[in-house]
Amino acid sequence: MNASPPYLGFGLGLRTCYFEDIIQTQPDIDWLEIISENYFVDGGKPWHYLDQIKERYPIAMHGVSMSIGSTGEVNFDYLSKLKRTIHRVNPAWISDHLCFSSLGDFNSHDLLPLPYTEEALAHLSERLRIVQDFLERPLILENVSSYLTYHQSQMTEWDFLCALHHQSGCQFLLDINNVYVSARNHGFDAMDYLNAIPKQAVAQIHLAGHSDFGSHIVDTHDQPVCDAVWQLFECYAQSMPRVNTMIERDDNFPPFETLMAELNQAKALAPMSWRSHG
Amino acid sequence: MADLAKLQQAFVDMLTGLNPELINHIAPQPGLDAKDRAAIYHNAYRIRLTKVLEQDHEMLGRYLGDELFDQMVAGFLSHYPSQDPSLRHFGDRLPEYLVNEPPFSAHGILSEMAAFERLLLQAFDAPDDTRLSIQALQQVPANLWPNVIFTLHPSVRLLCCQFASVESWQALKQADTPPQPELSSPRYWLIVREASLRTAFHPLSHSDYVCLKTIDDGLPFSFVCEAAAGLHQDTEAGTHAVMQLLQKALNSGWLSQYTLPAHMSD
Repeated sequence: MNASPPYLGFGLGLRTCYFEDIIQTQPDIDWLEIISENYFVDGGKPWHYLDQIKERYPIAMHGVSMSIGSTGEVNFDYLSKLKRTIHRVNPAWISDHLCFSSLGDFNSHDLLPLPYTEEALAHLSERLRIVQDFLERPLILENVSSYLTYHQSQMTEWDFLCALHHQSGCQFLLDINNVYVSARNHGFDAMDYLNAIPKQAVAQIHLAGHSDFGSHIVDTHDQPVCDAVWQLFECYAQSMPRVNTMIERDDNFPPFETLMAELNQAKALAPMSWRSHG
Repeated sequence: MADLAKLQQAFVDMLTGLNPELINHIAPQPGLDAKDRAAIYHNAYRIRLTKVLEQDHEMLGRYLGDELFDQMVAGFLSHYPSQDPSLRHFGDRLPEYLVNEPPFSAHGILSEMAAFERLLLQAFDAPDDTRLSIQALQQVPANLWPNVIFTLHPSVRLLCCQFASVESWQALKQADTPPQPELSSPRYWLIVREASLRTAFHPLSHSDYVCLKTIDDGLPFSFVCEAAAGLHQDTEAGTHAVMQLLQKALNSGWLSQYTLPAHMSD
């Protein structure tokens, strides 16, 4: 189950504070990405707005709580809620993170890194099969930022992604900021990571900001995209066929126009071929 | 247990403060040592969940002040680690924690204020439904009225307060000093997400509260009238009170529909 999602162009993360801006101004955005779990409710404001917005814009669904790498039991209650939401939203594609966040009854609400081992690879491939069979559609996985690595890892993160792609056929949402954050925190070259991922395995790109604490940087998604990440994106995009690209902001929300300016910067830095779609 | 499962358990134990053994799994790297790297996750875990309680229980936070609020968060986190994939449910058991755990349990208003804030959140997220109109009700033949069963709008929540919780919440919201917590008698409230999507709350009389509870229990209109008659110790006064409540409920969108037993609806 590895059909590539359609190319839609340049998108924005849809957050509640921008609902009115988007409905009122109908901005020139190719698609919007929602946080899947924010719509695991039966009614109220989130659906009131989304029902209007999805009339006008294609929607992608991005989850934060699937915990696909967890060794706990598969959470079919969660998957049922996700499937119900998928039916209502009819998204262009769905994604979640390559990590674990829960174990048994415990939920960290964080994106915790996996060790890059053969065992983790086999576990993820099997979980991916179960999840995709249940949802009856492909799941795209996003690389997470990390602040530690494990003794037991047997390969680099990018080799792990390549192996997972070859084993399962899954595609990735490459968060360029996350690659940058991990590269800084672990001392590798971000371009080595990006260049290693097979082109056909990249379904989407996230661009976001982080907080720099000097000794390490944290993927806070509450700052503008920094120059180094823009440069990384520009350099990477030149070597790539067009990829759905999105600005992701999760906190410290700026005026909507500021996000639109970032979106336009992404368009300007991408190759010309990325600006036509359909 | 396989290596991956052991590692994940060690991670969870580090986050919850149970066991720092995860640091033995962390590879040495320049810059930060293993303990500092683990601490980034440990701090993020606590900060994230603290922020959720701050957002969901803003007025409770003001009532407690920073120091006690932090103490409450630390205690709640250790008693009730998050079990739901959705953060919106993390604080569901906060009223239970506050009613049971000292020093908070000595002040009943705290649990009640937390419960009120949970109900506001529930109303916000409740399913959508129609709002019953007076016109729709006019179609019910008079002889069938005793059997009519009303349904409250899914966002409606009813609250009986032993303390001045809602009044304190209102005062804090307006940056005023909250009143004394003790009440001479209980007070009753209805919380609802209005048609405009705004979450609102309204004071209720004891009679209205009992009648709405009776409706919420799925009992027919005759039972609602009986309950009111009992409270007013007079059938006519009870019926009058119910009719006034019904008018108010219809105007305010507190009811979503009515049903009649199947053999009566033809």
